[in-house]
Amino acid sequence: MKKRTLQRGLGVFWWLTLVFLYLPLVVVMVFSFNSANSAAHFTGISLRWYRRLLGNEEILSAFANSMVLAITSSVIALVIGCLIGYGMYRHRHRKLGWLIVLIYLPIVLPDIVFGISEMTFFVQIHRLTGILQPGIETMIIAHVTFQIPFVALIVYSRFVGLDPSLFEAAKDLYASPWQRALHFMLPTIKPALLSAFFLSFTLSIDDFVISFFTAGPESATLPIYIWGAIKKGVSPEINAIATLMIGAVAIAAVLSLIFSYRRQR
Amino acid sequence: MTPSTMAPDTGTREPGTAQARDIDRRDVRQASSIDLRGLHKRFGKTTIALDGVDLTIEAGEFFTLLGPSGCGKTTLLRILAGLEEPDAGSLRIGDRDITDTPPHKRSVNTVFQSYALFPHLSVRDNLAFGLRMQGIPLEQRKAKVAEIADFIQLGDLVERRVDRLSGGQRQRIALARALICEPNVLLLDEPLSALDAGLRGQLQVELQRIQKRLGMTFVFVTHDQDEAMVMSDRIAVLDSGIIQQVGTPSEVYEHPVNAFVARFMGHDNLFAIQRSADNWVDTDLGRLQLDPAQQRSEQQGWLLIRPETLELGGDVPAGYNRLEGIVKERLYRGSRIEYRLEVNGVTLMAVASNLGQRLHAVDDRVTISVCPEDLVRVAA
Repeated sequence: MKKRTLQRGLGVFWWLTLVFLYLPLVVVMVFSFNSANSAAHFTGISLRWYRRLLGNEEILSAFANSMVLAITSSVIALVIGCLIGYGMYRHRHRKLGWLIVLIYLPIVLPDIVFGISEMTFFVQIHRLTGILQPGIETMIIAHVTFQIPFVALIVYSRFVGLDPSLFEAAKDLYASPWQRALHFMLPTIKPALLSAFFLSFTLSIDDFVISFFTAGPESATLPIYIWGAIKKGVSPEINAIATLMIGAVAIAAVLSLIFSYRRQR
Repeated sequence: MTPSTMAPDTGTREPGTAQARDIDRRDVRQASSIDLRGLHKRFGKTTIALDGVDLTIEAGEFFTLLGPSGCGKTTLLRILAGLEEPDAGSLRIGDRDITDTPPHKRSVNTVFQSYALFPHLSVRDNLAFGLRMQGIPLEQRKAKVAEIADFIQLGDLVERRVDRLSGGQRQRIALARALICEPNVLLLDEPLSALDAGLRGQLQVELQRIQKRLGMTFVFVTHDQDEAMVMSDRIAVLDSGIIQQVGTPSEVYEHPVNAFVARFMGHDNLFAIQRSADNWVDTDLGRLQLDPAQQRSEQQGWLLIRPETLELGGDVPAGYNRLEGIVKERLYRGSRIEYRLEVNGVTLMAVASNLGQRLHAVDDRVTISVCPEDLVRVAA
């Protein structure tokens, strides 16, 4: 009897947590359909702000920047991170100690520290060589840097989860090194790669701090645009953008989850 | 398997496969002999896996590497497959030295202990993998898969998904995947160890039958001496990276060369020899007459008495050794009865076939007849 009360209490706690996490998102989504220009009173449903959004050149360009940044950086991070993950697997028996810490570091480092160091680095490079003016290229490099550890760890954990005999079976069955990569390794880790790609994509779309420090005047992404816009006050237009972003990130996150679930099977 | 051309057809090769490679393959229907000379292998600084192995395996032989875990048998198999490189020594298959040939260029295939079926491929594609990597055209691959499925009697398993197979089914697919490549030598790394006893017995017989039908050289690794005896033409018993004895199952079982081999083959009745002459030995059992023809040069060592050679009760035939013992334990095994006897304060095991004779009861005093010809001297 007592146990059941406790369980019910924990259930309530679970629902409270969910409400706490998701209610603000729901509020933003609801108000994005508000017909009035108010964040306080909901007067009626309309798509007015979404229409306004589509007419706003700045927003569209920020959206395009976000997509280019997210897709390009994710693809590059996927290639490099995959190679690193495989390298970590191949040499897992060696004592890699501090090298592994270096891989993890970008994950735990505060974004603001990461962003400032990237900015300083790019400024110095630009001053010395004239290349890498702040803009979409520097943002891509910065994003790739923080995405790589995630990709590498996902790929590594997939390899570690495999029966080591599989690598030997491929050799034994006449596969040359390239054939092993093409016909055994890549198909085997495909779910991990897809999951890593969508995770990278989500991280990139989501990022404000690092983008902010490495962006140039023409390369504002959606989060940077929003940050600029809310200085003039929160308009329902921002709510509409936020709602679209919630949707995009949720889709990418769900895809990442689906592929990582398949990977574990 | 029917004869078929294994040479890659350059005209119809599937894109994405490498060019024809010089795989060490002679006539596919001809089994190859194996010749190992002075193989050494150590892992790290201290672990010696192989400590000078010389071994010749005949073409078409079912050869078993037998020993406890860590004896070096798996390392030896992996060196044959090319998955491990020896520190010293040479390795020939047929008349070619393949010591430095990488695994994907050896006409050697392995059935792995874990089966190692590719999870991303269907059963059909698993079977065809080796052929595909060699650049064999699709039509020939299809024909070969059908042929092997028929030969191993896979039935509808070919259409299943790898993750829907039972242990026994995986084992058969792994075997078929290796056999389909028609290698000169097939290596089997404890392929039956993960199966339950009934299925294991069935597959032991089937493997042996397949080997005899193909006439292929099989090298089989196991730690189970019963399995080794049932299946093999010859057995090599390994310990500490050294081959202790090579021989047919009956040679190794009936005439083990040393105490390790004797114990590993399951013998319990080993008695330290205290004094000996040409035709007798003294042990804790007392003095026993030996067949002089049996004598060995070693004066010290062990006396081996196989439990099934002992005769309990009744008259002791002329020329036989006579012992007196007390039954301490009786185990009824159905087809046979095992007795634990005490003779002069030491334990002696005896096994009698169950022929409906009167059973000896615990605490019975029995006479034991020991034929001198059945006593075997074993080195320490």
